[in-house]
Amino acid sequence: MDRELLIEIGCEEIPAGWLPDLTLQMAQRLDARLKDARVDADRPVESYSTPRRLTARVVRLAERQSDFDELVNGPPVSAAFRPDGEPTPAAIGFGKKYGVEVSSLERVQTPKGLYLAHRVHHRGKATVDVLPDVFGGLLRDLRFPKQMRWDAFLEDGKGPLVFARPIRWLMLLYGGRVVPFVIRRTELAQGPLVQDIRTGANTYGHRFLTTSGRAGRAIKVKTFDDYQSRLLENFVILDRAERESRIRRELETHARKLGGRVSGLVAAQSSLLREVPDLVEYPSVVAGHYPVEFLSLPEEVLTTTMIHHQHYFPVVDAEGRLKPAFLAVTNTQAEKPEIIARNSERVLIARLRDARFFWDADRKASLASRVGRLSTILFHKRLGSYREKADRVAALARWVAAEALRQSEAAVHAETAGRLCKADQATDMVRELTELQGTMGGIYAREEGQPEEVWKAIYFHYMPIGVEPDAPPSRQQLGAAAVTWAAVSLADKLDSVVGMFSAGERPTGSRDPLGLRRQAQGVVKILADLPALTGLDVRLRVGPLLARAAEPFGGLAPFREPLLAFMADRLTYLLEQRTFDVRSVRAVMHAGIEQLSPLEARQKLEALAQMSGSQALLGVAGLLKRVKNITKGISVEGGTLEGQPHRSRLHEPAELALAVALDARSQTIRDAAARGDYREAFAGIAALQPPAAKFFDDVLVMADDDGLRTARLALVATLRDLIMDIADISEIAADDRVGEGPRAAGGV
Amino acid sequence: MTLQDLILKLSTFWASYGCLLQQPLDLEVGAGTSHPETLFRVLGPKPWSVAYVQPSRRPDDGRFGQNPNRLFKHLQYQVILKPSPDEVQQRYLESLEACGINPRQHDIRFEEDNWESPTLGAWGIGWQVMLDGQEITQFTYFQQVGGIDLEPISCEITYGLERIAMFLQRVDNVFDLEWGGGVKYAEVRLQEEIDQSKYAFGQVDLSGEEFAALHRDLFDKYYGFTEVLLRSGLVWPALEHCLKCSHLFNILDSSGSIGVTERTTYILRVRQLAVKIAKAYVGETPAPAGGEAGPMPPGFGEARAKPAGSV
Repeated sequence: MDRELLIEIGCEEIPAGWLPDLTLQMAQRLDARLKDARVDADRPVESYSTPRRLTARVVRLAERQSDFDELVNGPPVSAAFRPDGEPTPAAIGFGKKYGVEVSSLERVQTPKGLYLAHRVHHRGKATVDVLPDVFGGLLRDLRFPKQMRWDAFLEDGKGPLVFARPIRWLMLLYGGRVVPFVIRRTELAQGPLVQDIRTGANTYGHRFLTTSGRAGRAIKVKTFDDYQSRLLENFVILDRAERESRIRRELETHARKLGGRVSGLVAAQSSLLREVPDLVEYPSVVAGHYPVEFLSLPEEVLTTTMIHHQHYFPVVDAEGRLKPAFLAVTNTQAEKPEIIARNSERVLIARLRDARFFWDADRKASLASRVGRLSTILFHKRLGSYREKADRVAALARWVAAEALRQSEAAVHAETAGRLCKADQATDMVRELTELQGTMGGIYAREEGQPEEVWKAIYFHYMPIGVEPDAPPSRQQLGAAAVTWAAVSLADKLDSVVGMFSAGERPTGSRDPLGLRRQAQGVVKILADLPALTGLDVRLRVGPLLARAAEPFGGLAPFREPLLAFMADRLTYLLEQRTFDVRSVRAVMHAGIEQLSPLEARQKLEALAQMSGSQALLGVAGLLKRVKNITKGISVEGGTLEGQPHRSRLHEPAELALAVALDARSQTIRDAAARGDYREAFAGIAALQPPAAKFFDDVLVMADDDGLRTARLALVATLRDLIMDIADISEIAADDRVGEGPRAAGGV
Repeated sequence: MTLQDLILKLSTFWASYGCLLQQPLDLEVGAGTSHPETLFRVLGPKPWSVAYVQPSRRPDDGRFGQNPNRLFKHLQYQVILKPSPDEVQQRYLESLEACGINPRQHDIRFEEDNWESPTLGAWGIGWQVMLDGQEITQFTYFQQVGGIDLEPISCEITYGLERIAMFLQRVDNVFDLEWGGGVKYAEVRLQEEIDQSKYAFGQVDLSGEEFAALHRDLFDKYYGFTEVLLRSGLVWPALEHCLKCSHLFNILDSSGSIGVTERTTYILRVRQLAVKIAKAYVGETPAPAGGEAGPMPPGFGEARAKPAGSV
């Protein structure tokens, strides 16, 4: 009969940010361990977590492992029998080992030949007997961003058991009964106050709250339903979704009572809403106020202090203006919430008072006067201080504005903003509220009377963070600073990415401590969305920007290949995030990242997406694949047919028709592409499908006659170049129509 | 509850739990962790439980007595439990109750906060304990000290005494705290804060260069002598002189006397000493100079190593 399995790992507070993944791991790892152990579950493992527990449940788990047969190989048949057919001692010995006659052994074919084999039937063990191993395996399987030693080990011979935080209790129930398992403590630690942890039927509720008995006492449970309801009686909401909806509900109610709503910044700029359900076992919300006078501080300072430093939710009025109030999610249901509210107010006000002190003190010196102090703040040990970075960014921003974007009137502002953009790191406010880097510099620049072109360029220069088309900042937010911002933001990121590569810092796997991926994504995002962000329809290529950014570091040469591959990855990431077809992305990126303009790439993909239903275009794509195969290494002078010496050799109607079509359409296609009208360009290419298809049906390219063959190859190579200049659409060819196989080769 | 009553309560509580009551280290240090009662005792296998107050100096946090929450020197109450008992969190919460903090009336949380001291080659895993949104304690399971993996694991509980007293007395300015017998914190410490801040930021009758040169020179002399002491096998005085280097580095840092690359070098040098001293304490041969404690994150100095710097 199937029974319920219930596991709880009782822990000291696990970091909130780890819980979502650990919950997932609990289910996946336990599932895998049960499968390995051949214990069948009727449904996938359910898993839950609170800061103090990781829980898993299987509704119905088989009572025994499933049986299985194992085939044990013996001697090869060739060595098992004498010529007269009598078994050799080797064969007899093997049979004896398993207590069977040689005649009842099986013969199996292996890569090494035919072997004698014995089939061993394993009868499944009782699930209770395999669960300790499953559970031990689960404890070993869980992975943490940072693990700790806590003087514990398992009796599996694999040594210390590291974990997220010390484990304080274990529950392992199968069919309501405790399955014995133990975590041992090392000899050095073991004593009256440090003991082995044994599985039991007990769980523990909220540390301080209960509806009956003493808070924090052991609670005996038998089933999952029992467990969940007893936890609730003891102020633990097991289900994260329930905690989250309770938090949302209470936040809304309290905000309404205060005459407002929770600031949208919470969701937009922080992970607070995602994190609080994992910080609490029994959430409730309290409301607090702070004196109106603090509203004279920049809004960014107020919200950052509340959200990032205190984990409080700012409240705004109907127009989105801050109200002097906040909401705090607590992990309790206090008898007198006003006590907590008052204390929280005191903490917040102390921080705001500090912030006001910084605000007043910082404005006594100009940003420009702080650039010198940047020489005491290290950017990177091989790349020097932020002072040196500021100089590089200023020069590069000026160049981007004047040379790359050809907006010479923006050059001076871009240079100024570039030089000042890091200066706020030498202010007290940013030393205290590091999240406000850039933002604060922008605000201080505005306060000291810098024009919008400068202060907004500084304010937004860390952005964009995301790669979505509408990731902030918007054109509207940027106002007059759109061009200077683009120049400074590009310059800062290019300098960091190229500089770090030159210093040997490259992101690997999941390691990217310097955030280079995000910075490179910022670069390609700005380039891809340049018209929407700045109103400039400039198709900047990646290569020249990298080359210019690399000048202060002695040029690209030593790290060119890895850097280009890295940039190509980031652009691919951006394009795929925008849900463009993976094969189309390959098609537009075929010529390599250096020559590529991310803006062109995006526009081509949009055109391709619009034409995704075009059978004609797909047809050309398939033909292009064949053409590429047969024209490898063939180049055509000038890229057109006209004036080609071999042209006169063409005589078949189909090849003449294709030549005429190419002559007629090439220029239109090229012009459309030059204008950025890729829809038109691809339509022109699609229109070549009938003559091209007819050509391949009627004409044998590989003619015996040398001259004729050369002429035909030149014809199709011209077609190839015309298309490939825009995109390698053979990438989007349907695979079943044209393969690399004999059929494709047979056609030419 | 006055500040001194709070100290008495905590002392009574932890003494009754079996801790030795020790006295502060009579040297300038940034945190109670530097005290040999922590730094040495957590090394090796011998069980040890101890509690003491440690005045802790963070030159960088000096505010000339003008900031209601920030001090050049604040008081830590330090508890070391080795090995760390299973019920340690519960005991800690009881210590708060003993000080008059009723957990049913407040929101008490353990939020992830791992501690690291590059100059001591030390790190641990733990939390900051939040009381109604205020950090009142740093709670750490040491993993490594002086580059040595610890076994058994010790638990360090560091109470921010001024913060807890301010909470209990409901005052918003640390200088308004009642120290004891009607005497205010300002009366005891304000002038010291002003003088020490001026010193920390180099406002003395010396030019900036002279100030820096003097402190570099002192650093080098103490550093050299620490090596002599180590060669002589005298680990306790060696630790004390190493801590003097650490403090001098903090002064050089807060007074803006050193650049970035140099800063890293200083941190590395102090760590090399700390690692040698720790190894000597546990009876190993001092290792050759080098980074036994693993790579060092940039921008991590002694002064900022423990976030409980402000009150």
